[in-house]
Amino acid sequence: MRFLKKPASVKGTLLALLLPAGIGLMGVAWLVHGLLLDRMSREFVESRLKDEVVFLEHQIRDANGEVDTLQTGDYFQDVFHHAFAIHTPEQTIISPDTWEPLLTPLIENEEDGTVRVEDAETTDTPLDILAYRKSFQVGETPIVVIVSEDLGALKRSQAALHAWTAVVSVLLIMLLVAVLWFGITMSMRPVVTLKAALKRLQDGVISRINVQSPEEFHPLVLQLNQLLDSLDQRLERSRDALANLSHSVKTPIAAVRQILEDDTRPLDTNLRRQMVERLSDIDRQLEAEMRRSRFAGPQIGKSAYPIKQARDLLWMLGRLYPEKSFELSSSLPEDTRWPIEEHDLNEVLGNLLDNAGKWSSRCVELSVEQGSGFKRIVVADDGPGVNHKDLASLGQRGLRLDEQTPGHGLGLAIVRDIVTRYEGKISFSTKSCSGLRVSIELLR
Amino acid sequence: MRLLLVEDDRLLAEGLVWQLGKAGFSVDTTPSAREAVVLGEQEDYRAVVLDLGLPDGNGLDVLRKWRTNHVSCPVLILTARGDWQDKVNGLKAGADDYLAKPFQTEELIARLNALVRRSEGRVHAQVKAGRFELDENRQSLKMDDGVEHTLTGTEFRLLRCLMSRPGHVFSKEQLMEQLYNLNDSPSENVIEAYIRRLRKLVGSETISTRRGQGYIFNAIP
Repeated sequence: MRFLKKPASVKGTLLALLLPAGIGLMGVAWLVHGLLLDRMSREFVESRLKDEVVFLEHQIRDANGEVDTLQTGDYFQDVFHHAFAIHTPEQTIISPDTWEPLLTPLIENEEDGTVRVEDAETTDTPLDILAYRKSFQVGETPIVVIVSEDLGALKRSQAALHAWTAVVSVLLIMLLVAVLWFGITMSMRPVVTLKAALKRLQDGVISRINVQSPEEFHPLVLQLNQLLDSLDQRLERSRDALANLSHSVKTPIAAVRQILEDDTRPLDTNLRRQMVERLSDIDRQLEAEMRRSRFAGPQIGKSAYPIKQARDLLWMLGRLYPEKSFELSSSLPEDTRWPIEEHDLNEVLGNLLDNAGKWSSRCVELSVEQGSGFKRIVVADDGPGVNHKDLASLGQRGLRLDEQTPGHGLGLAIVRDIVTRYEGKISFSTKSCSGLRVSIELLR
Repeated sequence: MRLLLVEDDRLLAEGLVWQLGKAGFSVDTTPSAREAVVLGEQEDYRAVVLDLGLPDGNGLDVLRKWRTNHVSCPVLILTARGDWQDKVNGLKAGADDYLAKPFQTEELIARLNALVRRSEGRVHAQVKAGRFELDENRQSLKMDDGVEHTLTGTEFRLLRCLMSRPGHVFSKEQLMEQLYNLNDSPSENVIEAYIRRLRKLVGSETISTRRGQGYIFNAIP
């Protein structure tokens, strides 16, 4: 059965399954047909023998038991196709004569009904006969009548019929194979068109798969097209990002280079400061675009271990801020998996924790929960918190609320972008003397 | 204060040597990983600034070699990649801090001074009990098969308390006193939650519960 588990081709598997099954069923049908034929013909012969015995009995009764007056001989042999024996105490008539050794024992047997004699040890007689014996009395005379038929002849004609059935069966099997082949080829045709469509897609002839596919293939085609869409989107995004980047980076580079190449111009403090500013701009732009382009967004087949990653990040921040305590609160097992790309989750956790670490006075707590249909990440610190009016603008692009703690103010914007990409929600809240609390809820 | 600077960009290295020198460090510099390994092991530096992308090797490998050979001076790694996983890997390899390029020299100097201060007076302390070894500097737990587990602050403090006296029964109140100061008011469930998590790391037979009394760390060899 191994070949069933790992089919090399659908067509091959179907044929390998259906063909032996078809042949087997046909064979069984043929055998059953043979058995039924055998039984039916026997029953038919039996009933005919009975009829003839009744007919003979009737004749004998009409003749008042005078068996001699019956027109035996030619007449009976013409009317009867069977051998028969009539026995009275006075005489025994057996026709044809050659059957005598077969029928005599039956007369003496004294048992009425159907009798079958096989492999009779006599010569010149059939080997296999069916006989019907009946004894009755006409007046005072007991009479025994036996009619019998040669089953061998019947069997021979039956065998011929059976052989013909076999021939018809073989023909039917061949027809079945043809129909199967046709059916499989027909039902596999969408796969062929799909294959052709993929080939054309690869060659760039078409940009999306648009074939009439049967219901079973709809999800496949849909997934493929979605994959193509996301690839296109990614390409477009990265092109946009690169265009933006090159626009915002080339200008400051040109300015700085122009100043450096001009050796007649003295490099005073003001100029240096300006150049440093330009370079910082370049760095900021690079950093922002690179981090944006690095995150993947929801992807099929990607998952992350939130607890393991959170633990590593908390440990790292604990080492970087040795005077602060970074705690994990979660009841999820270590090997919990979330359908988020690993790097994306790291970026979310890392930025939130780093931010909290910068602002907290002593303690940062990360809690990771999941329930039916939602996953939640909450990062809370015990720092000064944020003004209520500023809460809504947290994480907006290019906005920094502080100027003292180093950083680009980019972290929260990145987190916000990633969460949006995963169709999640991010919310900020602050309570008096409890710092900022960032809550992220993912619904996937 | 002697400092080793491992950086392959000559312009950057020259600038840093000058600026660090002004800040009171006497700087040795090398652009190669191979030389860095040798120098780190031979000389006694107070701090190391290590660039991760070196032409003849990875800075992390250099760091791992130092740490396996018990070179314990504080190391600050410079990286151009701002990936969180890179930072975690750097610290796991034994770094004490990281700085992403480009950086301001003032910040580098401030971080170096902080590192040196932190490393002063720190004894390389390890608590060993049974199959486990607790590294105080790295706040991590090492199994006898060499696997290192990272611990959060409270987990570390709790485990250190338990491992300091194997076989001794610590009551919940005692453990809470060790973990929190007077301002905090945590519930006793917190201790249970932490114990549960530690048991996942060390195995439930290692930390056993004495009903009504507290917890014991069993130093099973």
